[in-house]
This record gives sequence, structure tokens and C-alpha cells, in this order.
Amino acid sequence: MDVASLTRDVDPRSLDHVWAHFPSLTAIFPDNMPRTPRRFSFSATHWTPAFLAGVLLLGCSDVKQQAAGPADVGGTIVVATPGEPDYLLPPLAAQIVGRQVTDLLYDRLAEIGDNLSTVDDKGFKPQLAARWEWAPDSLSIVFHLDPKARWHDGQPVRASDVRYSLNLVKDPAFGSPTAPLVTNIDSISVRDSLTAVAHFKRHTPEQFYDLAYQVYIVPEHILGNTPPAQLKTAEVARRGIGSGRFRLVKWDAGKQVELVADTLNYRGRPKLDRVVFSKSPDFNSAVTRFLSGDADVFEILRPENIEKLKGDTLRRAVPYPSLQYGYLALNLIDAAHPGQPHRIFGDRAVRRALTMAVDRRSMLQNVFGGYGFPLFGPFPHSLPVADTTLPQLPYDTVKARALLDSAGWTVGADGVRVKNGQRLEFTITVPVSSAIRMKYSVLLQEAFKKVGADVKLDQTDMAGYMAKNGDRSFDTTVEGYSTDPSVSGFKQSWSTAALGKDGSNFTSYANPTVDALLDSATFTFDPARTRAYARRAFEIINEDAPGIWLYEPATVAGIQKRIHPTHMRADGWWSGLADWWIPASERTARDRIGLRPTP
Amino acid sequence: MRRFVAGRLAQAAIVVFLVTTVTFILVHLAPGDPIAMGLDRPGVSEAVRQHWREDFGLDRPLVEQYLRWLSNAARGDLGWSFSFHQPVRDVIVDALPRTLLLVGLAMMLSFALGIVVAVLQTERPGGRRDRWFGRILLLLYSVPDFWLALVVLLMFAYRLPLFPTSGIVDPLMHDYMSFSGRLLDRLRHLVLPVSTLTLLATAAISRHQRSALLEVMPSDWMRTAIAKGVSQRQAVRRHALRNALLPSITLAGLYLPALAAGALFVEKVFSWPGMGLLAADAIAARDYMLITASVLVTSVAVAIGALLADVAAAVADPRIRVR
Repeated sequence: MDVASLTRDVDPRSLDHVWAHFPSLTAIFPDNMPRTPRRFSFSATHWTPAFLAGVLLLGCSDVKQQAAGPADVGGTIVVATPGEPDYLLPPLAAQIVGRQVTDLLYDRLAEIGDNLSTVDDKGFKPQLAARWEWAPDSLSIVFHLDPKARWHDGQPVRASDVRYSLNLVKDPAFGSPTAPLVTNIDSISVRDSLTAVAHFKRHTPEQFYDLAYQVYIVPEHILGNTPPAQLKTAEVARRGIGSGRFRLVKWDAGKQVELVADTLNYRGRPKLDRVVFSKSPDFNSAVTRFLSGDADVFEILRPENIEKLKGDTLRRAVPYPSLQYGYLALNLIDAAHPGQPHRIFGDRAVRRALTMAVDRRSMLQNVFGGYGFPLFGPFPHSLPVADTTLPQLPYDTVKARALLDSAGWTVGADGVRVKNGQRLEFTITVPVSSAIRMKYSVLLQEAFKKVGADVKLDQTDMAGYMAKNGDRSFDTTVEGYSTDPSVSGFKQSWSTAALGKDGSNFTSYANPTVDALLDSATFTFDPARTRAYARRAFEIINEDAPGIWLYEPATVAGIQKRIHPTHMRADGWWSGLADWWIPASERTARDRIGLRPTP
Repeated sequence: MRRFVAGRLAQAAIVVFLVTTVTFILVHLAPGDPIAMGLDRPGVSEAVRQHWREDFGLDRPLVEQYLRWLSNAARGDLGWSFSFHQPVRDVIVDALPRTLLLVGLAMMLSFALGIVVAVLQTERPGGRRDRWFGRILLLLYSVPDFWLALVVLLMFAYRLPLFPTSGIVDPLMHDYMSFSGRLLDRLRHLVLPVSTLTLLATAAISRHQRSALLEVMPSDWMRTAIAKGVSQRQAVRRHALRNALLPSITLAGLYLPALAAGALFVEKVFSWPGMGLLAADAIAARDYMLITASVLVTSVAVAIGALLADVAAAVADPRIRVR
């Protein structure tokens, strides 16, 4: 594998922060990473993820540095997306394409730093708020808006817009998906047209993040005349008038969204003239459009697509950090009898045994072929609290069988284990639209069979899969999860408070010690202590084995070589899109359209 | 004839009503709902999802939802599309002309081509030309539509980048082209999907037409024509073809619904945002109103297609009129 060749033209300086998120090789593969004594050898094949990271680091060191010059302003990027924006109004946009577009159209008060620190205002950079001051009791923050900030219709951004934005999110009649995330913000008052004061109920490490990251500032003069309850279906919610560095040209539902540079933007004109999010009906169509040159960017290539780009003179693969990971969720409760433990996974010993029956390393190699990272717990390694030195349950089928024996599951005549007349049989629910998860489900089925479990695959469409997830009516599911950058995001998945339909605790895992540790991690202001609390919580979760940690995909975007990406953050590769650039000498016809309005 | 048409229209109305009713019920019984599809994600509470369900009346009993839909549909309001975030009527109005263009063009071409090929084959039945056409047509008739679409895409958009891979026009440049440029752009985008559909339909039409021609070839009037000195070619073209067109007319009626329903796999492969793709996306997103409206449009097209086929057959063949 020649990963260096895939990234040869990437400006290394511009992606420094990306490499910074790839931990050192020893961090990715610590010494205590479980290895199978007999089957596993210290081979290059098994270490391809480390090799990938290493080559990425090394491969870029001798690349000629390039930076955009004054003539390099202009050009167009067509992004192939496998979906459609849901809304162009940030407090309603819940789906990924909607978030991508609204992130470019709207600004927040401050932007999270590249290290995704959510504690206090560390790392946050000014956006609509040019500066801010904390009150002595830390229960309020005064935000001073940038006087140059304008909405795309030319109206100035006012403090009353900030107040309106929060009120809108909190309004129950509006029904914003973001509402549960801003409960700690009491209100916003307006001191003068450029000064907004945010009042909080409690002083917490993430109070600044709650406001600055979760609340986009939207224009009151555009939206305020429509009752919040009617905004979901109002035409005004499709106009996309924000204060971001791109403005909306048009949204052809089912086809594309076109944005153009806001040349008078208070944060500076984007280097690109135009960004088009062009919908494809599915993953394969989107990839085909990228490979044929109809699209410039496709955000997630599969391993087989990456291999195709070797030696490609026009396109390249660009890795970037992400917050995605995949695991097998074991349902700890009985779906038919809520409150009762699951007949199989209610037993911790069985969960541990099944975890030990899975050769995660081989599966990772099998499915990702070197373009994936092992998962060490319920977290992607790009998060500040990630700890890749956590002890892991080893892959050991002998021990797994012994554990099952001792738990009372004895091998029956047909090779399937039985306990109290019940067979060790269960289903793995998996969405057919995910090729990665489908592959994993088959491999897991085979692995569990070796220790005497009879596993059926429940392959369903995404709607059916989500319905089963929602009411927890599954035995196990292969979860593909993208986490929140905040520590409190873990509480949404692994705390007792997240049980039931309100949370994402799909396994119904409940452990008071973990709850306490996650609470402590959330309410501690010292990042080192946050990490320590989180580590202990993850350690206990790993010991309890409510899930089998499978993979973290090496997210690799396909990008035409004429485009120079400069900034790809883990919570959204598009975060720095306004600063991507295309050298004047490499432009194509669509780059030369310029800023002409659509006829 | 009037009574015949009125009777068929009444039958069609009943069929359309039953089909949409069954669809409405089935789609609501399927697991998942449009709100969960959009809002079932970390951080979104059940209260928020419930609020949305209430807002759109999805918390009401199924019968009430159905009666409300029926009453609105009768007034031309087909509801709100959860996946397109627009009124369903607007979504259909956007997609339907695209499908009409794609499938309509493909139908016209395939009927023209299918009939020509059948005539060429039957001019010398069993000859080398007939055998070769037969093999090719059988091959095209046998291949799945998505496979042929993928092969065409791979060959002429990827390996030989002669045509665009997807869409109805260039997503960006189209608006900046001259009139002739725009026309050419539209034609270029039509070539691959229309060719795929045409090839597939030609195979079927041609085989039917050939059978019909071979059926009339031994007729007395054909023998008389040839005995009077008309060449085999002229006999087929002037006499046999006219008398053997009835199956093609029936086939055209049966193909008509595709004008409204779209060609799902071809639309999907070429990202053609027509009715087929719309319906598939709507099903995946559990977009209740859009699914029901798509079925409504399709079932109306089926009814109209069947009616037109009957009328056309009656016009073409006086014997049917008499019956």
C-alpha cells in the first residue's frame, strides 16, 4: 500500500491539525493491546493502520509547501452528497447535509478550536462575537458582537438576534432538536445593539460550549414575523439568510444546493467563489460522480475506492479525523419484558465471553484492509478524553468457551450451547445500506458460532433499523455512531439518565459508578482530571462489556487534485471550506464562472 | 364507445381508491416513521420527536389520519413531504416532467426501433440477420435493467468519458450556457439513460412485434399479395405490418404507466430525479404523504394507460369495437 502517493500533493502545513489528531504509533497500538499468542504475529499486515498513520506523517514531510496567493481566489467545488439537506435553518437541521450547508451559511458566537476542547472557552475563536467577558461568578458572559457583521441581505447582526436565536431554540412550540442541549442557558439579555449577555443556571465547564457551539445565530428580522410553530413548513426557513462566509444562491430540492462567496463578509471573503452540494441517490452514484470528474469532493471513500486512486493524476485521497466509530451493541434488557435483564446479555460473564470470541484485529483488517483503526472503548481517538492505553479483553476463544461453560451454557448435541432449556441463539440487526456493517455482521456471526452461539442476521432497511434501535427491540445491533465532541456526549450513550427513548443508551447499560464518574468528568474544570475520570469510566465500561468495540474508520475524502484543502476538523470536514483554494493555473471551466449571479 | 369509456373510468376510479387506501395503511404499518428518520439521533429527546409528530398529526389514530388525507387530497392538497420539506404537490410537479421526458423519449425510440428491427427480421425469417438480431435481442431482454445501466455508465461515462454520469443537466454550468449549449447539455445528459431504457424496451417490443408479424405472414392475403408480384420486403412493410400492429398498441398502453411511475433502477443509476427515484427515496425515508401520492399518480397512470390501450385497440381494429 502506497498511502504516501495518495497524499503527496497535500499541503502538509495546512493539515497539521489533522496529523495532530493521529496519535503516535505507540499510542495507537499500546503494548497492552491484546494479542493472540498463537495466531497473531507482529506482522506488517496486522499493523497496517499504524503503517497508514506513519506513512501519512512521513509522506507529507517532503512535500513542497504551497500557500494560496492573491491570484488564487476563485473557483468552484462540487461536493457529491448521498443525501439532501433537511432544513437550511440551523436549529432545525438535524441531518448531515443540512448541517454541512448551514455551517457555511450561518455563524455562531464563537468557533470551537481544532482540538475540540469543550471546557470553558479554551481554544474557542471569535466568530460573531469579537470578544467576550465572564462575570465574576461565571454565571453570565457578555458577548460583544463584531460591528462589521452583516446578514446576507445587508442588515447588521444585532444582539437582539442572539436573544431571538436562543429563545427560538428553547421554544417548545418550535421543537428544535437542539433544545435539550441548551437547558443550562437561562436567557440572553440585550445590553445594547452590539452587546448580548448570556445568563446560565449553573457554572459548568461546558456552559460556554453549550451556547457557542450549539446555538447558531439566525436573523430575527427574517424569521421573527413567522410564529415558531409554523417555521417547519414556512418558505422563510428555506431562504438560508445567515451571516456566514457563503450565501445561498438556490436550493433545488432533490438535486442541489448552490452557495456563493459572500465577498463583503466581516470575516473575509472565502477563497472559493462557489460551493455546490449535489445530491446523488446513493453512495455508489456519488463515488461514480467523483471518479468521473463530475464532482470534486466526496467525503467518505471506501477502502476499495481509495485503492483505485493510486496513480490517479487528477484525484487523491485525503484522510481527516472524525468522530465516528462502530461497535456491536448488546441489549442488556429483555425487549419483550422491559425491566427484565436479557436472557443472554443480562449476564456480564456471557458478554465478556462473547467479546473474547471476537478477533477484532483480523476483522478490522478484513473489512478495512488497513484503512481503519482499532477501537479501545466507546470513543474515537480524536477526542481529547480518548485513551488508547485502556486494558482490553483479549481475543481468546479458549477462555471464552470456559467462561460460557462456567456461566452454565453447555454445548448441546448440535454444537449450540444451552442453558435451562434455552439455546444460545440471538440476532444481529444490521442496516443493509451499510456495506461495512453488513460485512462485520457476517464475520461476527462466524466468530460467535465458534464458541457455540447460533446467530441469525436481521438485515433491515435504515428505517426499520432505527425503529428497532428506538424501542430497543433487538438482541444486538452493529452500531455506527458519531459522537458529540463534549464529555457530556458520553452521558447520552452510557449513563443511566440516557436509558429509554430520550437517550442513545442503546444497550440499556446502567452502572452507578460510571454515572458518577461521567458526572465528575463533565463538571470538572481541570482537563487532566476530566481525562482521569473519563478513563476510569471507560475502564469499567470495558470490563462490563455492554458492547464489543469494533472499528474506527479512517475517514478519507476523495478530492480533485486541483483543490487544496486547508482545514478539516474532526466534527466536520467542511469546517474550513471557505479557506480551501484552487490555484489560478489549474482551474477548469466551472472554476471560471466567477461570481456572476445565476441567470 | 362513450358508455365503454365511462364504464372503464368508473372501474379505474375504484382501483385508484383501493390502491391508495391499501398503500396508506401499509406504509403506516411499516416499522419507523418520518420523524424518527430525521430526528432519531443523539441529543434529540423523545419529547421533541413527539412534538413533531403532533405538529404533523402523526400521533392521531390511523383512521383519522386517513380521512384527513382523503379529504385534503380531494381538494388537491397531497400533504407535506417530510423528506423534501415541501408540499408533496410541488415535489411531484417537479419530478413528473423529468420522468415524462426520459421515459417518453425512450418509449418513442424503442417502439420505432423495435418495429423496424422486427420488420427487418421477418423479411427473411430464419435468415442470418434474423438469427443475429434474435440473439442480441434475447440478450438484452434477459439482462437486468440496473446491470445494463451500470455497464453503459461504466463504458461511456467512466472508461470513455463521453457523456455525463448523472443528473438531467450540468449542475453548475447549465445556467451559464447559451440556448444551444443548454439544449446540447440536456441532450448529452439524456443519451445514456434514454439509450439504456430504449435498448431494454426495444428487445421486448421487437420480440412481440416479430411474433405478430410471423403470425400474419401465412395469411391468404399475404400469399395473394406475393402472388401478384409484390416482393417479400414490400409485402411485410405494406401489408403485414399494418395488420400486426395490434400487440404493439396493447404493449404501448401497458408501458404508459412507466411514464408516470418512472424507471426506478435506471433513474437511480443515472441519478435522474424522476418519479421512480422519488418513490424509492420516499419509501426509504418513510415519507408517508409522498409515497401515497406517488402511488396515486402511478395508479392513475395505470388506469389511463389501460383505458387508452383499449380505446386505441378498438380504433385500430373494428372487430374489437363490434365486440
